[in-house]
Amino acid sequence: MEHTAVAEHHEGGKKEVIRVTIILTVLTIIELALGFAMMGMENQRLRLAIKGAIVILMLSKAFYIVGYFMHLKHEVKNLIMTIVVPLFIFFWFIFSFLYDGNSFKNLKNTYDPYKKELSTTKAEKKEEAKEIKTDEKKKAVD
Amino acid sequence: MSTTTTAVPEKLWSGGKSPFKVEYGKLMMWYFLMSDAFTFGAFLIAYGTTRFATNGWPNPNEVFKSYPFASENANAPLVFVSIMTFILIISSVTMVLAVQAGQQMKKNAVVINLILTIIGGAAFLSCQAWEWNHLFHEGAWWGRNPFLNADGTASTTNFTNFFFTITGFHGFHVFSGVIINIIMLIMTLTDTFEKRGHYLMIEKAGLYWHFVDLVWVFVFTCFYLI
Amino acid sequence: MSNEANLHSHDSHDTNHEHHHETFITKYVFSQDHKMIAKQFLITGMVWAVLGGLMSVLFRLQLGYPDSHFSWLEDILGKWWVKDGQITPEAYYALVTTHGTVLVFFVLTAGLSGTFANFLIPLQVGARDMASPFMNMLSYWFFFAASCIMLSSMFVETGPFSGGWTAYPPLSALGSASPGSKTGMDLWIIAMALFVVSSLLGGLNYIVTILNMRTKGMSMTRLPLTIWALFFTAVLGVLSFPVLLSGFILLIFDRNFGTSFYLSDIFVNGVGALPNEGGSAILFQHLFWFLGHPEVYIILLPAMGMVSEILSVNSRKPIFGYMAMIGSLFSIAILAFLVWAHHMFVTGLNPFLGSIFVLLTLLIAVPSAIKVFNWLTTLWRGNIRFTPGMMFAIGFVSLFISGGLTGIWLGNSALDIHLHDTYFVIAHFHIVMGVASMFGMFAGIYHWYPKMYGKHLNNTLGYIHFWITIAGAYLIFWPMHYEGLAGMPRRYYDYSNWESFKQFADLNRFISTVAMIVFATQLLFLFNFFYSIFKGRKVTSLNPWQSNTLEWTTPLRPGHGNWPGEIPEVYRWPYDYGKDGQDFIPQTTPVGEEESHH
Ligand code: HEM
Ligand SMILES: [Cu+2]
Repeated sequence: MEHTAVAEHHEGGKKEVIRVTIILTVLTIIELALGFAMMGMENQRLRLAIKGAIVILMLSKAFYIVGYFMHLKHEVKNLIMTIVVPLFIFFWFIFSFLYDGNSFKNLKNTYDPYKKELSTTKAEKKEEAKEIKTDEKKKAVD
Repeated sequence: MSTTTTAVPEKLWSGGKSPFKVEYGKLMMWYFLMSDAFTFGAFLIAYGTTRFATNGWPNPNEVFKSYPFASENANAPLVFVSIMTFILIISSVTMVLAVQAGQQMKKNAVVINLILTIIGGAAFLSCQAWEWNHLFHEGAWWGRNPFLNADGTASTTNFTNFFFTITGFHGFHVFSGVIINIIMLIMTLTDTFEKRGHYLMIEKAGLYWHFVDLVWVFVFTCFYLI
Repeated sequence: MSNEANLHSHDSHDTNHEHHHETFITKYVFSQDHKMIAKQFLITGMVWAVLGGLMSVLFRLQLGYPDSHFSWLEDILGKWWVKDGQITPEAYYALVTTHGTVLVFFVLTAGLSGTFANFLIPLQVGARDMASPFMNMLSYWFFFAASCIMLSSMFVETGPFSGGWTAYPPLSALGSASPGSKTGMDLWIIAMALFVVSSLLGGLNYIVTILNMRTKGMSMTRLPLTIWALFFTAVLGVLSFPVLLSGFILLIFDRNFGTSFYLSDIFVNGVGALPNEGGSAILFQHLFWFLGHPEVYIILLPAMGMVSEILSVNSRKPIFGYMAMIGSLFSIAILAFLVWAHHMFVTGLNPFLGSIFVLLTLLIAVPSAIKVFNWLTTLWRGNIRFTPGMMFAIGFVSLFISGGLTGIWLGNSALDIHLHDTYFVIAHFHIVMGVASMFGMFAGIYHWYPKMYGKHLNNTLGYIHFWITIAGAYLIFWPMHYEGLAGMPRRYYDYSNWESFKQFADLNRFISTVAMIVFATQLLFLFNFFYSIFKGRKVTSLNPWQSNTLEWTTPLRPGHGNWPGEIPEVYRWPYDYGKDGQDFIPQTTPVGEEESHH
């Protein structure tokens, strides 16, 4: 019955797990390295590129977890399709939400001078006016 | 339609059996995880949208830079969270091993790996509890944000709002995963699966557990890295 | 039984052995039989339909007779709802909100999908029950709990939620925004969260049952269109309700934990600014409509499926374009996820993004038109039997055309800027969704009643019900298009304050009167429904409509497990009507040697 599909694979099972674990570890380390590299970096373009790279690494980690740990790669092709295809909705979901969010920001910055001012004034001044309740004095950012 | 008269046995879709060679519970778990992916997706997309709609945002490296037993002004960004990430990855690995042991009907290996997975989950939750506690004492909570934007301007509370909501929701999933795994452990110890003749239940619990790990991959990236 | 066994490799419900006696509780209350659960959904849905309908009559009373005083109403409903014989403004908004919520979610989602997915999926795919009968039972009881909580919100001191069924912030996020935003909203949101859980439990079950539990020979392209429609409905629900859930969770935080996901720069009654900052109410609208638009198809698709089936059976003709029907369901399901922002054209949505949404929205017209074309061609030259069920199915097609056309107007953002939030929108979605899906539901009830209760509904009452309802529906909603074009906004308590809308006083009174007549007619249907359960004409034939599908191969009153013996095997698609000179050939008939292809 349904065990057959599994049984065929479990010979190489352990090896595969070790391989995937190593891959995931390496990908995470690269992510972290990129994260460290990004600290204090001034070049906005480069930052964006690194963020893009991190997202790609994230997706490949997701691929290994879903494909191997969750065993999806060894399932029947149609099952894979029913799970992967609906995820394409996320493209439009993400794109239009973020796009409209960005547009909303631009509208506010254009038509709401108060917002604009807020976002260019350094914080300390504003803080007294708003009296945010924090128990500890916050550490100033240099 | 009626041109195909007799059902050819190899045909997966001809009815009378699962087209995916998967029993219904596992299929249901998969589709539940799909829908849960949309729950988390919606949270993260809402977070992204708010970030895109906001001028300036705190620098995560300024915020998440401490670890347990560190001194007051420790400055070790990404260190603690990478430990958390590895804990979760390793607990996923032990879960896979538990599932594989179940497929080979090796009860003892199942028990050992489940225990390791549960420990991993508990360790992750403890880390998270520590981090929340630490942030709370720095003045961060829902509706309260002591941190400044990276450019030194005042930050809205949405930074902490989203952080606590989403990591909290993920933590809740980890918590329920641990509970599920404990139930699996008890059922294994009482030979429930041995009597059934299969450990399919553990596969389903495993799917859930890996999903929790998967979500963390996204949460980790979205909150700590970019 | 062998196929059953391996699909249920570890589930406890072994349906083969005879049922030992069931108690009243396990048979009627905590039943795990899909047919009983279907009836539970149906009856609960009907209760809500009556309550929701009654609410609409009440607020129509205000709209139609803004200057009259009905002091007797005050005695019935009490001071909060009616003052000086007039519905209070707070009560008016509470009524429209609850009417919308209840009809959209409780009647046309739970009551429609819940009933027919539960009833028809196992019967038509040839399964003994749902994949997980226990989860199926839970699904109903979550719905029941949601119902109780929603109902209790009607009785709290500050009244039920009153910010519209779409629950936009800030009205939904700030307790101080309006009376209904207080306890009423808390209860509303809890009820809705439970409802989401219910529909997820149900939806997962429907999907898995259709995929995994089909009987031998029931390939996907031999499924009745009802099942295809219910399948896509469930997929839509499973993928979009979670997004609403997330949106609601954020809303709960905004309400109770001082966050400002959806709030920014707000003054209440000019008394100082609230601490909220940096959020955006538009975000909620996006999240809401990401569910909201699929939701309207969750409501419509089951009706489409049942109508396809009923039209074909009662035209004694195969459905025209079976594969095209599936294809159009599929493309509607996909497009349903891509068009949500057409509800937000006037929110300041980015115009470029808006133009893509216009394009995607207008694309829906294509699969919709395919479906309409196929229904009409199915009817074309059929030997039509005008049963009440068939009448409602034809009525559905008419309504879908009328309401779909106005959708195309609204889908153009340039027109929508003028029409948004006017009675034109009310007319559009009531015709295409509200009334049309109701018609699908009625069609389904009239058609499957014999299977549900072993009795026939009274036909004469059925015809009266149909004619008054269809005429009434058009008389109520058609004029609203004109009001909307003239700019009459929705969700206003009293139009007689505006000089320009005074011209509609007579029209509004007319609409309100018809609404009451139509509501009374529904009571006639209810009478027919409950009377016939006990006193209706007994069904004598196993297959009263000479239909091909599997549910008619079960005994007159099938028990739990549906078929006493083996589940029948299937050899053909369900639409062999009028083939080779035979009136109908059930799916269980093997294909003959000489049989023609089509
Ligand atoms: C060609 C097909 C359709 C198009 C292009 C279309 C387009 C639209 C648009 C643009 C709106 C927003 C109007 C506004 O608020 O200004 C709208 C509202 C609405 N439509 Fe449609 N629609 C179509 C079919 C449907 C169908 C089939 C249903 C339901 C089954 C439906 C249900 C609704 C509902 C419920 C609303 C109003 C929700 C509210 O604001 O309360 N529409 N439609
Ligand atoms: Cu829509």
